[in-house]
Amino acid sequence: MSSTRDILSKPLLTHELGSLDKPSWRVKAYAGVALDERDIEEALSWGMRLEVPDHERLLDLLGRSPLDDAQRQEVRRWSSRYGLRLEESAGLDVVYDGEQQRSEMYAWAVAHANGFEWRGSVRAFDNKYYSKAAVTGPISLREPYHNAEFAFLRSVAGAPLKVPVTGAYTIADWSFDEYFIRDHDLALPVAERRKQRHEARRTLVLELASNLIRPNLQALIDLGATWIQLDEPGASTDPEELDLFVESFNVSVDGLDAVFSTHLCFSDYDLFFPAIERMHGCRQFAVGFANYDRRELGRSDEARPGYAVIKRFRDLPYRPILGLGVLDIHSDFIESPELVRDRILYAVDVFGDPYRIHVTADCGLRTRSWAVAFQKLVNMVAGVRLAKRELGLSQV
Amino acid sequence: MNDRVIAYQHGIYPRSEDLVAATRGLERARASQHEVDERIDADLADFVRTQRDAGLDCFSDGLLRWHDIFRPLVRVSKGVDARTLVRWFDNNSFFRAPEITQRPSVESNLPAVFDSRTLVPEPRLATLPSPYLFSRAADTQRHRNDLMRELARYVLRPVVEGLAERGYRVVHLQEPWLTFFGIEPSDWASFEEALQELREATAANQMTFVLHTYFGNAIPVVDRLRRMPVDAVGVDLVETDLDAFKGRWEMGLLLGCLDGRSSTVEPLDGSVRLVQRIADALEPSALYLSSNCELEFLPREVAKRKVLRLGEIARHVRGTP
Repeated sequence: MSSTRDILSKPLLTHELGSLDKPSWRVKAYAGVALDERDIEEALSWGMRLEVPDHERLLDLLGRSPLDDAQRQEVRRWSSRYGLRLEESAGLDVVYDGEQQRSEMYAWAVAHANGFEWRGSVRAFDNKYYSKAAVTGPISLREPYHNAEFAFLRSVAGAPLKVPVTGAYTIADWSFDEYFIRDHDLALPVAERRKQRHEARRTLVLELASNLIRPNLQALIDLGATWIQLDEPGASTDPEELDLFVESFNVSVDGLDAVFSTHLCFSDYDLFFPAIERMHGCRQFAVGFANYDRRELGRSDEARPGYAVIKRFRDLPYRPILGLGVLDIHSDFIESPELVRDRILYAVDVFGDPYRIHVTADCGLRTRSWAVAFQKLVNMVAGVRLAKRELGLSQV
Repeated sequence: MNDRVIAYQHGIYPRSEDLVAATRGLERARASQHEVDERIDADLADFVRTQRDAGLDCFSDGLLRWHDIFRPLVRVSKGVDARTLVRWFDNNSFFRAPEITQRPSVESNLPAVFDSRTLVPEPRLATLPSPYLFSRAADTQRHRNDLMRELARYVLRPVVEGLAERGYRVVHLQEPWLTFFGIEPSDWASFEEALQELREATAANQMTFVLHTYFGNAIPVVDRLRRMPVDAVGVDLVETDLDAFKGRWEMGLLLGCLDGRSSTVEPLDGSVRLVQRIADALEPSALYLSSNCELEFLPREVAKRKVLRLGEIARHVRGTP
């Protein structure tokens, strides 16, 4: 634990944030679909580029298609190695595997919980969809669902790990509720329906926090996890429920022996205040800003409109670190090191303390190709170096 | 009232699992555009069948090619782009905010997304963003009320006129901004002016013009809405207690009587009772029935059950179950 606290105190620490796209060889091999030459070439070229140890063994394994179940699990672990190496090769200080072993951040959690039934695909944006489930019974943890990947990654990682875990509020927000909401008759007065809806929502969110998320976190900690990030992209969906989001975070982590951070993205961040003033257990907020920012260089307020809200994070009473999102994950635009540098230096100027700024992408890069994701991360690390040079900070 | 009950399904309709897989495959170079087009046609044919089975009165193409309610309009407009992802109100759904840097105008003919005449029967229904929504959702430095009028005149009006030529008979404007975020008193006149621009186009072409508010309670703005130049005003019954409105409703009224964000299909009896009670109390000149919002927040199979329920409600209200 003390080593994790040491890492957290590194100024302008760079870290992973969520998922990477799954390589075609991983998707096809796992699905039992025949691979073609391009898939093999992709496995070979990225294996060489990232210097994945023993990647020839993966090529050998892929050559044995169709694969049995044990071999398919091995392919998933290879995908983990590749994801991990991509982040390590880009130079990130703290890494994970781009969630290569999970189906998707929401689906993976729901698949390991009791009390859900799948309903079908729903659009998030453009052509991006997610599988949405309905809550149909009491919520509980079926089995710890990140232990196997964490144990594996710990055995192969060269850099410290941070475990991303989807938070309770987001799971609730991304699910239909067919269990706690009992009455769907619109003939009832709106005020009565709204009251029922709020009570049902509160019960659902807190049940998820205490019966699903918390025991899963405890299992990870028992296994040796020291930094866990609760991903809450849905946190501000309903501005009237921010207190509930905060309560669910506290119920999930209070008293557990690890460093906890949270990830927020694609929201009107002003909405989070003042509710998150009570999130004392949150050591770092990793927040996406680049999506809202301009792409020209500059360090003034006018040049950096996407970061206008960061002073509110600065002023939180428990002085958390801000994980500064500097890469737009919804665009193939490659941020230059100089643009990253200017975003960082603007934030350092606002905070007056580089030790309270970490540097990251806006969110997971899974909607980008590996080539784009890798180059974005490489430039991010290069931008951190430029910023450190200007600030006179050690490059180590 | 019975002969003045009109049911239709507005807004973006969800895609099938097959189409979702095909578009994902296209992005990963594992499917061709031709395969995606075939899936879209199959989805459209299925949606038309559902609307027929439900006995709906106007047919929508389900906006199956639309990524969000603005995108096709952005693509055919000069001075408009779309990049930044923004949350669509309080949903886990995002749109790309139209970036407007100069006076917008439609550059080409009607967007190709409307070209589904061979598959969609008449009378056809088109869903478009209300100019107030459009101007407020935009990422722009321009004066928003000026922009609202420009969007109505130079973007939405030419599109409406193009739609009239293609056999569309209902123009349904989505207006969630008004009831979710509100409106300044000083903005109403510009909003009315913008709607008047479209009213002229719809009236000249014998089209029905509906302004539909949702995601919020319409009661605080309903008196002003009833003076707007439209044929009907829509309200979201999930959020609005129309029992709180006293008096007659001397125009068309659209009731959003199915919750497009809940996977549970509303009970028939309660829905019919609610609609009947409101219709009896307000006596609108015409009664339109639809979902409270677009159905794209639902998986397709759930949405289908809601559309069929919409038809059932309409038949019961008409007294022809």
